[in-house]
Amino acid sequence: MRPRVAVAASGAFVLVAALSACPANTGGNPAVDSGRQPTGVLATDPKDSTGPAPEVAGARRGGTFTILRETPISHLDPQRTYSFAGLMAAPLFARTLTTWKDDGAGNLMLVGDLAETPGRDVNDDCRVWEFTVKDGVRFEDGRPVTAREIAYGIARSFDPDLAGGPTYLQEWLADTPQYDTAWDFKANRTSLPPGLSTPDGRTLRFEFARPRCDLPFAASLPATAPLPPDRDTGVNLGNAPFSSGPYQVTRFRAGIEIVMERNEHWDAATDPVRHQYPDRFVWSFGATPDAAANRVIADSGADQSALSWDYVPASLVARVAGDAALRSRTLLSPTPSANQLVINNERVTDLRVRQALNYAIDREGLVKVLGGPHVAVPMTTLMPPATIGHRAYDGYPAGPNGDPEKARELLGGQRPELVLGAADSSVEQQVATQLKGNLERAGFVITIRNIPDDAKFDEIKKRGNPWDLYLSSWAADWPSGASILPVLYDGRAIRATGNSNESYFDDPTINAEFDRILALPPSEQGPHWAQLDERIMREHAPVVPLYVDVAYLVHGSKAGGAFVSSVFGYPSLVNAHVEP
Amino acid sequence: MSLSPVDGTVRAPIEPGGAAGGSRARRTAGRSPGQLVWLRLRADRTALVSGATLVLFLLVALAAPLIELAYGIGPQDQFQGKLDGFGLPLGHAGGVSGEHFFGLEPGLGRDVFIRLVYGLRTSLLVAVTAAVLTAVIGVVLGTLAGYLGGWLDAVVTWITDLTLALPFLVVALALTPMLTLRLHGQRDAVPPAFGVGVLIVIFAVFGWTGTARLVRGQVIALREREFVAAARASGAGPGHMLFRQLLPNLWAPILVSFSLAVPQFVTGEAALSFIGVGLTEETPSFGRMIHRSLGYLQTDPAFVFFPGVLIFALVFAVNLFGDALRDALDPKSSR
Amino acid sequence: MARFLVKRTLSAVLTLFAVSVLTFLMFFALPRDPVTGMCPKNCNPERLERVRQELGLSDPLVDQYAGYMKGIVTGRDLGGAQGGHCDAPCLGWSYVNNEAVTDTLARVVPVTLSIVIPAAILWLLLGVGLGLVSALRRGTWVDRAAIGCTLAGASLQLYFVGAVLLLVFVYTLGWLPVPSYTSLFDDPVRWAGGLVLAWLSLALLFSAGYARLFRAQLLETLGEDFVRTARAKGLSGSAVYGRHALRAAITPVVTVAGLDVGAALGGTVITETTFGIQGLGRTAVDAVRAGDLPTIMATVLVAAVFVVLANMLVDLLYAVIDPRVRLG
Repeated sequence: MRPRVAVAASGAFVLVAALSACPANTGGNPAVDSGRQPTGVLATDPKDSTGPAPEVAGARRGGTFTILRETPISHLDPQRTYSFAGLMAAPLFARTLTTWKDDGAGNLMLVGDLAETPGRDVNDDCRVWEFTVKDGVRFEDGRPVTAREIAYGIARSFDPDLAGGPTYLQEWLADTPQYDTAWDFKANRTSLPPGLSTPDGRTLRFEFARPRCDLPFAASLPATAPLPPDRDTGVNLGNAPFSSGPYQVTRFRAGIEIVMERNEHWDAATDPVRHQYPDRFVWSFGATPDAAANRVIADSGADQSALSWDYVPASLVARVAGDAALRSRTLLSPTPSANQLVINNERVTDLRVRQALNYAIDREGLVKVLGGPHVAVPMTTLMPPATIGHRAYDGYPAGPNGDPEKARELLGGQRPELVLGAADSSVEQQVATQLKGNLERAGFVITIRNIPDDAKFDEIKKRGNPWDLYLSSWAADWPSGASILPVLYDGRAIRATGNSNESYFDDPTINAEFDRILALPPSEQGPHWAQLDERIMREHAPVVPLYVDVAYLVHGSKAGGAFVSSVFGYPSLVNAHVEP
Repeated sequence: MSLSPVDGTVRAPIEPGGAAGGSRARRTAGRSPGQLVWLRLRADRTALVSGATLVLFLLVALAAPLIELAYGIGPQDQFQGKLDGFGLPLGHAGGVSGEHFFGLEPGLGRDVFIRLVYGLRTSLLVAVTAAVLTAVIGVVLGTLAGYLGGWLDAVVTWITDLTLALPFLVVALALTPMLTLRLHGQRDAVPPAFGVGVLIVIFAVFGWTGTARLVRGQVIALREREFVAAARASGAGPGHMLFRQLLPNLWAPILVSFSLAVPQFVTGEAALSFIGVGLTEETPSFGRMIHRSLGYLQTDPAFVFFPGVLIFALVFAVNLFGDALRDALDPKSSR
Repeated sequence: MARFLVKRTLSAVLTLFAVSVLTFLMFFALPRDPVTGMCPKNCNPERLERVRQELGLSDPLVDQYAGYMKGIVTGRDLGGAQGGHCDAPCLGWSYVNNEAVTDTLARVVPVTLSIVIPAAILWLLLGVGLGLVSALRRGTWVDRAAIGCTLAGASLQLYFVGAVLLLVFVYTLGWLPVPSYTSLFDDPVRWAGGLVLAWLSLALLFSAGYARLFRAQLLETLGEDFVRTARAKGLSGSAVYGRHALRAAITPVVTVAGLDVGAALGGTVITETTFGIQGLGRTAVDAVRAGDLPTIMATVLVAAVFVVLANMLVDLLYAVIDPRVRLG
């Protein structure tokens, strides 16, 4: 018996000794600069859209740049791409009509990519747009990219078999959300969808029934990548996309890795943003965020030129942030992903209750639950600070820890019983528990109702869903109020399922404002959206803005050039290079 | 036994001949088998120490509300003021102090000690209840199959094979949210007891096969023994046969499989939390806490240490005691 | 013998059939609508309904099941959204992975085999070795320490051990490469290096049971008549151990090992998750989370096949090794 007990006892002793040897945590306040704001414009000078992109200081050619990510990218079909990883990978092998020039610090400019300019509004009414395709842009087999291949790419996104991509262009062209019934791609492979035409090989023309002033932005999504019809392999294109960018996919091992190598036919002179520094990019899948961060921190072998795609897990943030030697190997930037406590306005109809909810939240405590300012930054506006024209304000000032007294006062003695629907994922459970504590302190009675993680996303998009409160987040497809406020708060768009307006907020005067601002030229809309943002919050409080996600990433000592995209909040690889 | 796809859970095998019945023990000593086992256990210091540890754990679990009263902190109370900007506890070893014996959870800032006390309660409740259920199911099916034989035996054997062939984790992962949705309104709070109940049911449904096989084998062996044959020849009814002749001779295998099942279910709960099924955040449980703590190995090792050591101590104590129990039950043991 | 085989095979087929039906039903009872996952940000009910029809999800369950089973035997035509014609054995198309499920299996089954088989060899060697030592030194401190250590090992949690091993040997000391799967045939050294931690963790957990079992068996056989006879005939100690006792004692160990390996081949979810290796187990769990029916069906069926085969093999083996067992 003694040896058995001794084994256990000595093990425990060693662990206790190790623990007590740790220094005391005396705190200190990690500070993250989150106050920056993007200045976005559409390039007016065609020179902005020409290549080559300026050289990155210290960059050289050669080497293998590795990206570690837990979840595999399931396909690389540009017309079906909508995941963050897909959107950030696409520029390496697919060129689009327009693209963002981004310095990673919020200075954004929309420029022409395949097109010479970010589009021409022919009649200044946003109904007819023309793009002129650049000279010298080529596919991986050397043939030139013309307007026809771009149009074919857009046409194939009408195919319901190719599920998954954005639907802006299809819906705008067909002028109905049921675009695939309005025009059947499979039956009309040789023709083009209504409103889309190629007057000549270099011109692509869109004609819309209604003003679509955001077209240049929507054209920056990978759905406008070109494809010759003879290279269309249907769903199998996802494993072997036909490249027009600086890299081509040379190996696609589903679920394991994707290898991209230089495309010799890409011409730097035509490209305003991309480079071709590393010999190859390797996307390696499967490592958990924990494992990926630890590997990259260890910085040995191939991991020296690797980037951990997933954000540093909350439990490791203090380790990474506390290590001065790692400072030069981290990327830190607030993202445009805005998280809200959504109030179901069809259930919680009393404005004072919604306002009380806004006063009750302890955002500082919430940020602690999430892992500190390297993970989340508190937010009190509807649009995240990374939106063009954003202006900070706080409609319900309650201090960093919330103001339960003010909330009680607004409730005037009632104790509203609300059900908070929360996904059964680990993080959301923690957040829900935290919010429940905050709200009960202010006089609410909160029931947390768990919803299966995958189902929640769809369930809260159903009108008439049974919950009063739920957590949700929105990442806009381009940093304009137009892709946030009308999408989330236009009550006329509410339908039975699949709603982006998850608060089911509907107010006629606000709806009219949406129409007014949407008809303005995109470059003038910014301040108007900011104004409307504040008005919606002060007059209606349809949600409780909580925080924006912060991107905090770590990379190996030789992985250079990656920066956090100001548009999507994930690493952009156009400047990536391997340091010697 | 059939929780094997939970690769963290060991299919500790049961030696086929090891517990071959107290009947032989009856011959060799003038004491009843129960007395003999008790004497052997008392003489085994491992059994004493591990048994005492188990009793202590049981007492703590039962007295959790009293402990909360004396300790002055509840399992849902938050102390975020004692966390730094990253949400990590201030002070030494994860915030260990006179007020918080085992420190604080990172993030929500709840007290680790009181949550472990309640977690112990949850874990033991799940494990012991599920083990009792599996023993009952296993004994009933095993005895019926073994004693009656024929087509019933074939059916039970086939159901055993089927249960073994279904992957436990996948089924648990699919069933848990489904049961919750089917049995509760969408706005109803799901009481923690429901989650605990679902776990118990899942363990019971998948855990009985080992006991059933063991009991079946034992009954088949006993059926041919002289004393059973004699009882049958003297016209004993089936009730008498089952309860007076067979059951007393099955205690050894039942106890053995029970002692194997308890640690399996304790670790099973933790394994389920690991893949994201199991109890809700509000229910304190070992599994959930350990799963969450692992990420903090580098930033808050104390948070990994306390739950980890406690679950290890619990499982180790049950395993040691079960081991000693098997020795004591084994008539050929000469320790 | 032939009759036994036929009977056993029939029972196995029946089991697999039941598993497939249960899995199918279970999936349709899942709260998640499989179609919604295939719709982007702004999806509408009409389009969902058309996708549902194209996938045959609005057909009666029996038809869907029959279609699936037919696909396994003869192959079948899936829509353009599912990669067109699918050759036998067709296990369907996974939207989540954007590939035929047979391709997914071809990728992940070798991974699980590479984890389980060497681990099983390791835990058998470790278990039998420790069991032998403690039986030979019965009652001494060696015996107690060996059994105590294996029990302690079995009481540890795999994810706990795994996390500590990773932190110490991979991230901090850098003695081992990051766990990953490389094909044995591409590079045996990397194959072993990437999986050795998984093998060790599994061996640590499993060997306790085997040590205990082998020890008990050995002690029992050593007390049996034929061993005593062998001794009385004047055979030396090592001959008695080697030729007679060990062989008799190893039989039940092989039996249990067969069942354990069969079950583990169905997927070592925790091991795979802890070490970030995508094998059959993690694939199955991911599929359930994503509501990916074809992948769920395939992984569950493959796991069931492993278990059922292992059961049959063990029965056969038992009959071969132990002539006392009559098959009938």
